[in-house]
Amino acid sequence: MKALVLSGAREGETAVDDAAEGVSGELRAAGWEVDCLRLRDMEIARCQGCFACWTRTPGICVIDDAGRQVAELAVQSDLMVWVSPVTFGGYSSELKKALDRLIPVVSPFFMKIGGEVHHKPRYDHYPAIATVGVLSRLDEESEDIFRTLLERNTINLHSPACGAEVLSMDQTPETVEQQIGSLLRKVGAKE
Amino acid sequence: MNSGERALLLVGSPRGPKSNSESLGAYLLDQLRERGLETEKLRIYALLKSDEGGSKLLAAVDRADIIVLAAPLYVDSAPSGVIRAMELILEARGGQEAPKKPWFVAIVNCGFPEARQNDTALRIYRRFAAECGLEWAGGLALGGGEVIGRRPLHRAGRRLRHVRRSLDVTADALAEGRPVPDEAVALMAKPVIPKWLFLSVGGMFWKVQARREGAAHKLHDRPYDR
Repeated sequence: MKALVLSGAREGETAVDDAAEGVSGELRAAGWEVDCLRLRDMEIARCQGCFACWTRTPGICVIDDAGRQVAELAVQSDLMVWVSPVTFGGYSSELKKALDRLIPVVSPFFMKIGGEVHHKPRYDHYPAIATVGVLSRLDEESEDIFRTLLERNTINLHSPACGAEVLSMDQTPETVEQQIGSLLRKVGAKE
Repeated sequence: MNSGERALLLVGSPRGPKSNSESLGAYLLDQLRERGLETEKLRIYALLKSDEGGSKLLAAVDRADIIVLAAPLYVDSAPSGVIRAMELILEARGGQEAPKKPWFVAIVNCGFPEARQNDTALRIYRRFAAECGLEWAGGLALGGGEVIGRRPLHRAGRRLRHVRRSLDVTADALAEGRPVPDEAVALMAKPVIPKWLFLSVGGMFWKVQARREGAAHKLHDRPYDR
């Protein structure tokens, strides 16, 4: 089983990188093959909103950089874990620049899911998604947005399962370990 | 608001001057200018190309009395460039007692026909305002935004008249010192196109585009299949 762990840490956010490494370690211990990417060190241009990944080179972004690699690894994984500082309730710009480049993995055509219109899947298989948010201090509103955002992403990316955990920098390492363990069990990555 | 006060439009689309976000934001900015406000427009993605652009962004935010962000919905939230701009603004303003507390209005448009698909993005923008010491003055959500066709809104046809009306009502309110009224929110959220029509026309749109690119036979390709 393959997992793709993305760290959306900005410069100096070691707690976020540490959480990504912690998740990767737990997954490897549970027998997963893991790619853990520190996105800020990768050359990933921002999505240009051109839709050429749907109409000119269907399934592949026209920007030839590491954004393509992330999209390919995403499709070929069974689990994606997005680790990010909780940024206004959402993801950091570093994580989001990679996520915005995932649109070629779905089809431009539409379907209804739960009465809403969404893009059809391009592939038969998509990974489960787990998100780990890191906050300097827990706050309910940010946490709620963070969890809701993942639920929305899961619909649009046709993921079979999802789970979110929000960590606070003042938590003990034991608590963090428990939360990550619980998250991985929730998405079926660990017994 | 008194005349002489300043409205800043931040366009959050990466598509440059011809974008649906720019059409929406520019229309509102024109309405505010007609009501006596000074106006300024900046494109976030262009600014992010240089450190100088970042400084220009922060200076414009400091000058503004009303900040209007017009942005598309990308993967259920703000586009990465908009998030980067918000991070820069937080770094500059967060935790400091700013000399003034500008109003912040967000206009989000998505390609899906349901305006409510923008809700999470609006919550993120509201949270941004709170963390940066901006006064949340309201959010407008538009579904089916591609119907604008990147045209100036006043030339975008009858189907979008409730969108123009929403922005007129918003301009009236902001110019009089009131937040975005519920009426404007409801008008913007009205469906631009019936869902059944969207589903039918939407599919054809992509086929036509792909045919123009010579890629119609590849529309369902799975280049990363395992």
